[in-house]
Amino acid sequence: MLKKLLHSREITAFAFIVLMFWGVGMINPAFLSATNIWLCFNSSVVFTVVAIGIALVIITGEIDVSVGATLGMTATISGTMIRDGQPWHMAIIAALVVGLLIGSVNGFGVTVLKIPSIIMTLGVNGIVRGLIYVYTNGKWVENISFDFKSLSQGRLFDAITYFYLGALVLMLLVHLFLTRTKRGKYFAAVGDNIGGATLLGIPVDITKFKAFALCGILAAVGGVLYVSRVGFVTPIAGNGYEMKVIAACVLGGISLSGGVGSVIGASVGAAIMASISRVLVFVGLSSDYDNTITGILLIIIVVSDSLIRRRAVEKARRERLAAKTLHAITDGKGATHSA
Amino acid sequence: MNEAIRLPRDAMLSVRGITKAFGSNSVLKGVDLDITRGSVVALIGGNGAGKSTLMKIIMGIYQPDDGDIYLDGKLAKLGKPAASLAAGIYLVPQEPMLFPNMTVEENVLMGFKENSSVLRKRLAGLINHLGWNMDLGRRAATLSIAEQQLVELLRGLMRDARLLILDEPTSSLTFNEVKSLFKTVEDLKAKGISIIYITHRLTEVFQIADQVLIMRDGVITLNGPVTDFTRDMLVAGLLPPNADVRDAANACVAQDLTGKDPLLVVENLTGYGFNDVSLQVYPGEILGLAGVVGAGRTELATTIFGRDVVKSGKVYIQGRDVTGLSTRAMLEAGLNYVAEDRFLNGIFRLSDVAANTTAANLNRMSRFFTNFKEERKLTDQYIKAFRTKVTGQDQTIGSLSGGNQQKVIIARSLSTMPKVLILDEPTRGIDAAARGDVYHIIAQLKEQGLAILLISSDMEEIVELSDRAVTMYCGHINQEFAKCDISQDNLMAAAFGVIEGSASGA
Repeated sequence: MLKKLLHSREITAFAFIVLMFWGVGMINPAFLSATNIWLCFNSSVVFTVVAIGIALVIITGEIDVSVGATLGMTATISGTMIRDGQPWHMAIIAALVVGLLIGSVNGFGVTVLKIPSIIMTLGVNGIVRGLIYVYTNGKWVENISFDFKSLSQGRLFDAITYFYLGALVLMLLVHLFLTRTKRGKYFAAVGDNIGGATLLGIPVDITKFKAFALCGILAAVGGVLYVSRVGFVTPIAGNGYEMKVIAACVLGGISLSGGVGSVIGASVGAAIMASISRVLVFVGLSSDYDNTITGILLIIIVVSDSLIRRRAVEKARRERLAAKTLHAITDGKGATHSA
Repeated sequence: MNEAIRLPRDAMLSVRGITKAFGSNSVLKGVDLDITRGSVVALIGGNGAGKSTLMKIIMGIYQPDDGDIYLDGKLAKLGKPAASLAAGIYLVPQEPMLFPNMTVEENVLMGFKENSSVLRKRLAGLINHLGWNMDLGRRAATLSIAEQQLVELLRGLMRDARLLILDEPTSSLTFNEVKSLFKTVEDLKAKGISIIYITHRLTEVFQIADQVLIMRDGVITLNGPVTDFTRDMLVAGLLPPNADVRDAANACVAQDLTGKDPLLVVENLTGYGFNDVSLQVYPGEILGLAGVVGAGRTELATTIFGRDVVKSGKVYIQGRDVTGLSTRAMLEAGLNYVAEDRFLNGIFRLSDVAANTTAANLNRMSRFFTNFKEERKLTDQYIKAFRTKVTGQDQTIGSLSGGNQQKVIIARSLSTMPKVLILDEPTRGIDAAARGDVYHIIAQLKEQGLAILLISSDMEEIVELSDRAVTMYCGHINQEFAKCDISQDNLMAAAFGVIEGSASGA
């Protein structure tokens, strides 16, 4: 069990977050206060939910760079409705429907029109970003009711917010779905070997479509949480979130080539991403470096991961070749070679 | 119109009048086929004969343009893989299609609807029944090819497959693994499972098949019980109808190599995939390197060409020690290699013919900007010399037929003025006419005094072209043949590691 745990890909993310907290605590002990640590985790709730969504897409071997725009759009719509005094549940439903719609457009483009997902979602990202400006005329959505904002402040035992608790429950549910159900296992299968999945009669396109649709819905959930947590929505809300959540997934052990990784890893990665700006402040640097550091981390992890994999593949190839060659000698039959 | 189609009563699968074309390239031209319950049907045919396409249609991966498929005498609609799987058909692909990051158990149980505890029990029962010894917890990425095939077989059997299609299952297996696979096939047959066994190895046909089918150019040209045929008859069935004069015309005159120095010398070379290989190729000589896929031929060639590390041994070109030099240095030393897989390693698919022809030679084409006049001149020269069928130099190479693509690739290699040329499967997947042209080109190159190392798993090709031949088996050169000893039988036997009597050079 311990061995399995140590070999799991999430372990690097856990190790990373522990080391990061410990390291920052060395420089500034105030960082290690319980309040601050809870703050790091609680503030990662939006990243966590969106990262779980994009993890579904990445595990099937695709990518979605439109999650930031989807989050911005759904936050704008639900924020406007709440500001205008509409019932909360209507605002939430509207956000989820829009998220589902955007995710479905992505899924349609990738599975039916066969557009590479990076291009499809990049295009959708631009379209949605533009529509946000059209919808708001470039104005901020402000004056969100206090009651709605205070939802994000509710805490259990004065420590963990109900929002973050909810995100963790969501993480567990999605994790169980991916690892314990037949349809959930299709996600990793499609990302692992798409040709093999097709031969087994696994509905490859439907699975990918589902991944994009769920990703859109979870980005919308992120949008609603964003409205409550931040309390206002600018036209550029969610900008750059796609890099943050992709980095969270990669840091959490999800392979960008698909088939490998878990949403638990993605959630730990999201907590790391949310902590980076606080970490910078505590070690006395400007939090302006946040995105730069995220980008550097993303590249370092992806490069080292692919180097390790390439080396493993090469080693396996050579071992296989060597096994074949040696076999001839032990085989005895006809293995005499010409002098 | 709708006549009742008569089908054999014990046929599990019947195929009638299947046609399929990809663009203008018609791959299947009306195929009829019956598979009896519990029989092993060997399907043989050259590359590009249409075997894989036919199997993919049966698997529901491709849709036929015309024709019908019947299962147990009833018309079947096999629109997608799920339908074929439900009908009890399972294809074990040549390269097993496993999920490398999943365990053996997950791989086998993937895609089922039933409860997983029920499935596990069934799988345990099945493995017990087969008497196999298998660690279900291993990650698929750590399995050997043979083990991966067993996992594929388990997948098929778990689906209660009644028809298993094995696509060249032995192509990358070691000798012992082949033996155990044959035993498995016998077991399955005894349990009433029909098997379509695709292979390139005639000896295997007689070892395990009940019925034999030969496909050539999209039609089945020979069909019947194995006992009705001899190996020579099968060989004849594989050859184009007008090819029977070839052996007589191919007079046995060994080249006189005295006084000549070999251009390429390989001495006790060891690398990944081959061990202690020695050979020489003389100017104006074609040395055939025969062997089955996976014997280490391509690894040998690519290592000589500087793509992988040399563990020990020496390589000389024109007497100069070039062991372990980079590919670029090898090109400068006068060696060129025409890779096996045109699509992966050969063509720049979207570029035009001219750009592809001159791509290896851009230094000569330009100081800074490409000299298009020079490019056109060189391209034109090769198009004429090789009779390459193009609409113009600006045609993209991806739209050419396989044979014409290969001509352009050979032209590109030649434009670097090599002294030694390694051709790896030069006629794989190209049609008979283009094959003749490529042979003609190779013969011309020989006349010009190039030393040519011809790698091929097509034994006819080795027989037709080579002045001397060696066979590779499991990474070793196990036999050498002088011109007069080269025959398909000899080569095949040696490539299989079965050496009969004492042949020269061994």
